Amino acid sequence: MAETTQLELVTPARVMLSKSVEMVVIPGSEGLFGVLANHAPVLANLQRGVVEVHEGGKIIDRIMIDGGVADVTAHGVTILAERAENLDTASSQEVRERALSSTGVDAEFLNVVAEAI
Amino acid sequence: MPNLKDLKTRINSVKSTQKITSAMKMVAAAKLRRAQEAAESGRPYTARMSAVIARLAAKSDRSSASPLLVGRADDKTHLLVIVSADKGLCGGFNGSITRAARKLIAEKQASGHKVLVYVVGRKAGVALGSEIADKIFSRIEGVQGSHLTFGTASEIGQKIIDGFEAETFDSVSLLYNRFVNAITQTVTHTSLIPAEVGATDETVADGLTASYEYEPDEAEILSALLPRNLATQIFSALLESSAAELAARMTAMDNATRNAGDMIDRLTLVYNRTRQANITKELIEIISGAEAL
Repeated sequence: MAETTQLELVTPARVMLSKSVEMVVIPGSEGLFGVLANHAPVLANLQRGVVEVHEGGKIIDRIMIDGGVADVTAHGVTILAERAENLDTASSQEVRERALSSTGVDAEFLNVVAEAI
Repeated sequence: MPNLKDLKTRINSVKSTQKITSAMKMVAAAKLRRAQEAAESGRPYTARMSAVIARLAAKSDRSSASPLLVGRADDKTHLLVIVSADKGLCGGFNGSITRAARKLIAEKQASGHKVLVYVVGRKAGVALGSEIADKIFSRIEGVQGSHLTFGTASEIGQKIIDGFEAETFDSVSLLYNRFVNAITQTVTHTSLIPAEVGATDETVADGLTASYEYEPDEAEILSALLPRNLATQIFSALLESSAAELAARMTAMDNATRNAGDMIDRLTLVYNRTRQANITKELIEIISGAEAL
């Protein structure tokens, strides 16, 4: 078992993900970066993209976020995102329906999510 | 002597009022559970956001920092954001907010500030009415309850930032009812601009700050984060206020239901007494009539 780091993905509505992971790939504003256990402390702006959780060489979770900030400390990784959708559990049809019933940035983001699923 | 028919009507009307208040109480209780969950699940985001801001603020140079963080040196006009409910019938909920708002406005004016207000929810606007007619910066209604999304909070936040950058006002504070538990709500006043920075968190104490890396750099992260933080604070205030409103309504309607019950008991007593008195009177009339024969 490889060393793990504590990942938390938090949106204003809820704590979306909170678990120990081997590696997480984060869409930083300067490019993608991977975080393993004992990563140096970083505070990074994020852009719209997919957060990938890796375990045993495979991607186990893919979550689309709409920008935000990632705080990597010795205690773990915290990702703060205003909007986030899990690409593996949601169905594109259901996301499209929600996009229709929301407005502005919310709708635009959900459409992008529906495309990505 | 009240007449029987009037009493009966009175009792029936109180009974139907009681039915309404008890239904409202149950509706509020059901909605409260959802609102409370929403308010509580929103707290981690707010807490973490403040922690990050606190750390950045501790590091950044006060003199060159964004005015969103440290405020403007020349603070002439103050914007007060008042969060109230759209509907009444929730006890002292709106009353305590408007009272606090009136007091704050008076204080700010006494210290030589010009005051503008941003009214969220219908009731505060109605209650303050002409007092704030010349101070309205903006108002928004119908955003609370189940329609509440982060998008709404962002819009309010953006409007405030636009106004701040246009120098319509120099500082901003937020006044709302905070949900403590089902019977307690406290009026809370927090500063939005300059940002209220909490005590620096444990990471600073760890001495880790020295080795912190920033991508792209501190100033840019801070400038992206501060508007988000503003929206986050507004969002959390709206969530708290929605939960507090429902809690206040539930308590108020519970009291109303109980009062209606008491009133029905009292009226029923009077009704029975009156009916008995009538019967006795009729009996006396019959008996004395019979004796006269």
